[in-house]
Amino acid sequence: MQRKKWIFATLAILPTLVIFAYVRIYPIGDTLRLSLHKWDILSKNKPFIGLANFEELMGDPLFLDAFVNTTVIAFGVLFITIPLALVLAALIHHRTRSHFVGFYETSIFIPHIVSLVPAAMAWKWIFDARLGPLNALLTTFGFSPKAWLFDPVLSVICIIVLCSWQALGYAVMIYLVGFKSLPTSLYEAAKLDGASGPQSFWRISVPLLKPITLYVSVVTLVSGFNVYAQAFVLASDSQGAPGRQVRVLVLDMLENSFRNYRVGYAASEAVVLLAIVLVLTLIQFRLLREKGRA
Amino acid sequence: MISAPKVRTHTTIRLHRRRAALFGSIVTAVGLLVNLPAFAQTITVWSGYPEMAPFYEHVAQGLKAKNPNLTVKVEAIALREHEKRIALGLTSGSAGATVIELQGSTVRRYLENDLLPKAPDAVATFVKNPANFGEFFSSNASYNGTVYGIPLFRGQAALFYNTDMFKAAGLSAPPKTVDEYTQYAEKLTKRDATGNATVSGWSLRLSGGGQGIAEKFWINLFQFGGSVLEQTPDGKWRANYANEAGRATLKQYLQNVHVLKTVTPEMPADAEALERGQTAMFIRESWVIGDIASKAPNLNYATAPLPRGSIALPTNLYVKANGDAAKAAWEFALATNEPENLVWLLKNVGWLPNRTGVDFSSVTKAAPAFAAFVDYPKDYKFFTLPSIAPIEEVLTRLAAHLTNAFRNSALAKDDAAIDAFLKTAADETNQILRREDLLGK
Amino acid sequence: MSTVTDRTRALGMARIRRRSFVDLSIDVVLTLFCLLMILPLVLLVSNAFKTPQEMLAWPPTVIPDVPTLSNFKAVLADTPLLRWVANSLSFALLSTLCILMTSAITGYILGKFRHRLLSVFFAIILATAIVPFEVYMIPLYFQAQSLGVLNSTWGLLLGYLVMSFGIFLVRQNVIHSIPDELLEAARIDGAGELWIFWRIVLPLLRGTLGALGILAFFQAWTSFAWPLIVATTRETYTIEVGLALFQTGFTVDLGRLSAASAVVLIPSVTLFVLLRRNFVQGVASTGLKE
Repeated sequence: MQRKKWIFATLAILPTLVIFAYVRIYPIGDTLRLSLHKWDILSKNKPFIGLANFEELMGDPLFLDAFVNTTVIAFGVLFITIPLALVLAALIHHRTRSHFVGFYETSIFIPHIVSLVPAAMAWKWIFDARLGPLNALLTTFGFSPKAWLFDPVLSVICIIVLCSWQALGYAVMIYLVGFKSLPTSLYEAAKLDGASGPQSFWRISVPLLKPITLYVSVVTLVSGFNVYAQAFVLASDSQGAPGRQVRVLVLDMLENSFRNYRVGYAASEAVVLLAIVLVLTLIQFRLLREKGRA
Repeated sequence: MISAPKVRTHTTIRLHRRRAALFGSIVTAVGLLVNLPAFAQTITVWSGYPEMAPFYEHVAQGLKAKNPNLTVKVEAIALREHEKRIALGLTSGSAGATVIELQGSTVRRYLENDLLPKAPDAVATFVKNPANFGEFFSSNASYNGTVYGIPLFRGQAALFYNTDMFKAAGLSAPPKTVDEYTQYAEKLTKRDATGNATVSGWSLRLSGGGQGIAEKFWINLFQFGGSVLEQTPDGKWRANYANEAGRATLKQYLQNVHVLKTVTPEMPADAEALERGQTAMFIRESWVIGDIASKAPNLNYATAPLPRGSIALPTNLYVKANGDAAKAAWEFALATNEPENLVWLLKNVGWLPNRTGVDFSSVTKAAPAFAAFVDYPKDYKFFTLPSIAPIEEVLTRLAAHLTNAFRNSALAKDDAAIDAFLKTAADETNQILRREDLLGK
Repeated sequence: MSTVTDRTRALGMARIRRRSFVDLSIDVVLTLFCLLMILPLVLLVSNAFKTPQEMLAWPPTVIPDVPTLSNFKAVLADTPLLRWVANSLSFALLSTLCILMTSAITGYILGKFRHRLLSVFFAIILATAIVPFEVYMIPLYFQAQSLGVLNSTWGLLLGYLVMSFGIFLVRQNVIHSIPDELLEAARIDGAGELWIFWRIVLPLLRGTLGALGILAFFQAWTSFAWPLIVATTRETYTIEVGLALFQTGFTVDLGRLSAASAVVLIPSVTLFVLLRRNFVQGVASTGLKE
């Protein structure tokens, strides 16, 4: 019986093992290998060049630009999303018995599940300097219209807004689960002590939800570092209505591999991206562990 | 070296507009078509210009009568995506029987790596015949003296301007010198009460992704006698814009954007702007004529040659296929060059056919706007993009620098800062060339 | 003159009134915010019904003056939009199926069988879970190329066959909700391993797999970078790629673009509204850390 059990286990896990090796482990390893080569799609010679790709990256203004933009976007989204999501989740949780809860959850969450491209299209129009409702609103209130998609700073802000809009639903949802798992007895005790709603939010909810905050933060940061479709669509290549190209890491990577055919160089960018994500995750684990000890 | 030789990229194209030699080529084409494969054959046409799709379908339609078994699938997508699928499709060999439309400058690296086959003898003879194509075009479709492709059309730029706006501004003729372009732009700009431009006087390419910004910059730079890259005596290349011509060109952009405020990055631009009356003039290729005809047929506009000369980017057809499929694909490529089809191309799409000796007068008479593209001054100069592998990288990176410069109002009145900016960009250009071992002395 | 009891009652009333006032204002704030959240999508749908003239009108209108269906007609005539939707659907459904199968069986084995090699495998799965897809997308592309599956659903699928998180999720659920005793009892009764998995484990995992399925579906449905490089012919675009490239022609027609986008919103929003509960559960389960 024991043998049968293990034969089953081996046979059952084998397909996944093979697939996993083929579509995850091999390509990840290959990325590391390519990053050390001058690997151009078209040329027959693909020599090993050690760390030369990484050295070039450090002096590449486009890569550095992409790196800065991506970091600003990722942290920008983080700083907007987390506090906002926490407050919204608290408010929705407070109104759990309201008839509108379904509406709240649905409408906050829908931006997270609609496809990126239609959503970005909608925002592109909103931000449009000449026809967009945002500038219409600004002028109505006496402000001067802004070239949202063209200014180096504003165009990055546009992407942050768009990404936050999409990331918010997920964070709120996770926080809602967190709120539901908090012991109600603590709140009742706080109430007896005369604590107001906001007070118990600050003194009880926020500290108790710290693990969830850390989790959501890392997820938001990591997906922020992978931002691509938003930058692609907001700038797009259409010649009648262009926008400033906000260079982000994935975009620079794809441009290097499929436009300049420098796959090795792009792979070294991918390795940098991987390093960033790894560091962020390690920091998260470290923080969680400290929390556990405390 | 101060006495640099004449930049070799500025090849002069002489457009033969003779109406002879038609007969022979038709015979060649038809002769090839006799050897039709008997069974069903599918070829795919890859194009980087969506507006070219109807043309290839028109050609396929014409072939259908002679060869009902031939199915032609036309896949026309945006140029960027098109170039990507070529790079990936050719290296994997998964492309199938394909007719590939590609700029002569881009194709070089594929030929260097044996990724495209040479043309069959009949095709080579057709292409090499001076009665069919000028030397510029046949050599653009060849590599080391061997013909690989069939010339089809070229991108050539001219000034498009709104004649109603010119009249309203009291201008009766198009601008002739680079200085006049700025003067005209100032007169043509329409402004609201606060002085902000509502209609740009001269629509410049100031933002967007990709290399377009650098290409347009090159066209303007060429009017000042400069070029982004120049060939050195050893056959290699180097940046040629960190100089007086480069400064003058960039200064003209900055003057228009920041000093005279005749145009801003966020204003609608390009063909769409002209069609909607949002700009008074802009520089673009001949396809705009077809675009205007379909999208803004009532627009009153005219065209004019540029002050010194224009870009001429020849696009050729190449074939990636085996056996009978290859035969069918080459037949299709040849059929595109039949006079009837070329006239259709010019009339309905607006790209300029490269073939000599075809009578386009029926089209040029009906649409006088084509005149600026075919009746240009005797000393009109042309340049094309160098056929080197990293050309797109050079242009994309220059474009990224330029986008920042165009926004920088502090540069507008500071020649030293402009020079410093150009030097940084040119150093990067040379750095890319050095990496690919293409930097000349 | 009010009596003491009256006073306390009044105080109680006041408190309730204050409470309901607070609740009401929370509702107002939330409602306003939620409307703001869906406003971009509402505007998008509204643009889809505008004529080109109205599209260019200033100031922009929220509700079209003269609603027209011409944008939809033009889009459906000009682009294989439905084909793209079908491509996306088949890709997303197949991907969901693959992920459910691989996650269910692997999660079960990793959860209930103990062996050092299995622990190593699980550690590898966890370690690769944090590697963003974009990092190894390019080598994977060349693998797809050598398999000859570019421009096909299979090529798209290659990137979305397994989901590390799915395996993790199933494993955690197996450990917590399926007692070892249950499996042992079945074994003693002479049940085969496959029967146990099929008849005992899978039914118990129904909720988890439902949630995971929805996550997997939307992950594939909204994928962009991978389809953009793998599917490069007009016929094989997914809807995301088709839409994104739709606007890169020489001119952009915002009305049509909006119409196409609005069409695309329909399947995902409908699916979400229908399966909201499962979906929330699925997302929630991603946040449940042990």
